[in-house]
Amino acid sequence: MTNILDDYALVSPLRYRNNWLKIAIVGFGVLVGVSSQSFIPPFAIALCMSFATVHFGKTSLKFYLTILSAPAVFVLLSVIIIAFFFGSGTEIFGFNIFSYHLGVNTGGLEMALLVFSRTLSGMSCLFFLALTTPMVELFSVLKATKLPDSFIEISMMMYRYIFVFLEVAWGIKYAQTVRLGYKDWRTSLTSLAMLSTTLFIRSWEQGEKIFISMSARCYDGKLIFFEEKRPIRANELVLTCTYFAVVLTLWYLTRINSVF
Amino acid sequence: MHIFEGFLPSPWWQLWFVFSIPVIFFGMYRLNKLVSEKRELLPLLAVAGAFIFVLSSLKMPSVTGSSSHPTGTGMAAILFGPAIAAVLSTIVLLYQAIFLAHGGLTTLGANVASMGIIGPVFAYVIYKAGMKANINFYVVVFLATAFADWATYVVTATQLALAFPAEVGGVAASLKAFLLIFATTQVPLAIMEGALTALIFKYVIQVKSDALVELNVITESVLNKIKGANQ
Repeated sequence: MTNILDDYALVSPLRYRNNWLKIAIVGFGVLVGVSSQSFIPPFAIALCMSFATVHFGKTSLKFYLTILSAPAVFVLLSVIIIAFFFGSGTEIFGFNIFSYHLGVNTGGLEMALLVFSRTLSGMSCLFFLALTTPMVELFSVLKATKLPDSFIEISMMMYRYIFVFLEVAWGIKYAQTVRLGYKDWRTSLTSLAMLSTTLFIRSWEQGEKIFISMSARCYDGKLIFFEEKRPIRANELVLTCTYFAVVLTLWYLTRINSVF
Repeated sequence: MHIFEGFLPSPWWQLWFVFSIPVIFFGMYRLNKLVSEKRELLPLLAVAGAFIFVLSSLKMPSVTGSSSHPTGTGMAAILFGPAIAAVLSTIVLLYQAIFLAHGGLTTLGANVASMGIIGPVFAYVIYKAGMKANINFYVVVFLATAFADWATYVVTATQLALAFPAEVGGVAASLKAFLLIFATTQVPLAIMEGALTALIFKYVIQVKSDALVELNVITESVLNKIKGANQ
């Protein structure tokens, strides 16, 4: 909750670049990363995307590394399971617990490394999008997808209300904390329930209020926003194509020599 | 727990999209129908979605000392039904992927399947069955949301096991390993979420019970019975 990445995206210099180009870069990275059969292309993608985020996007490196370590617990836990249960080959190390023999072999280790690299590349692509493109910019993309209007309307209104409620939630939480509302397990449960209830009631009343105020302003089920046109620049295009070419070459080379 | 970007290998993330997309489209169809009948529901659903997002980003106190987040989707299923809960959770999961870097885009299908479809369906079925059987309202809410939460994690473990079968023993062996780690650590958290949701409903009934009647969550007679029991 402390890291709403959208705040960083709003001040990113890459915000004013073409949305479709950014989405193409991210989509490409995600798809190649997930379909690669060696750990080299995903690591290359992760490196390039991290560089783009930190260097072009002017994100502080320390902050970037902090958020990148957030999914680490889940990933490491699962990667360890994969290392133990997957693959065959010579055993690297092993031990016995409760008459079960657990061992890590080369196949399992390679698989674990591959999954780890894929996750890393996917996360860095996602962070690139999250840290350079605010949600408001993505709505124009969402509108072009021909999804039902009600779905898009709900997402746009939801986006606006997330920030309202986050502020309310934080305010209440501070107030509760200074009154020792989270001093132990039982009180924190009650406090959290009260906080959530207040939020629910607030949101319900807010929902009724926006309907009235929007109807008064002739809302007919369609919010229309101004969209800026941002043409793709030549140097951006060249850089993107070089990146695509390098990653695709790596992907092609490792595909032939692949072990799996 | 969300499956992170890039974690599921190729045939599996596509397959989970194939599973989730029809349900999401059915949800959208239901949503369109509902909204065209009652237009005032659209802003309400939007704020409900924002509520789920904020709820799921709050840290929940946990017995073991580690912290976890309520999923909130069980509550959405009780309030709006599983089809609409699926659509709302899809949007919430998409925002979580982009704002908080929880989950991912290729794994969105799998995450929607576990958190947005199977969990809420569990919650809804248990809730409806429990209300029909005339069990205490709060007990039913507790059971529905706790089991929804737990089912979500069992599904997540299954998804991981299917994608990464063990060399010895296949899917079953790795399912056992993933279940051992994810599903058992989730039992206390599921109980917490159930207790939290039941408490939320308790306060909502005290303060704004007409909202629940309006959403057809409970009937007037049940409400009177609960209020009578409170006094």
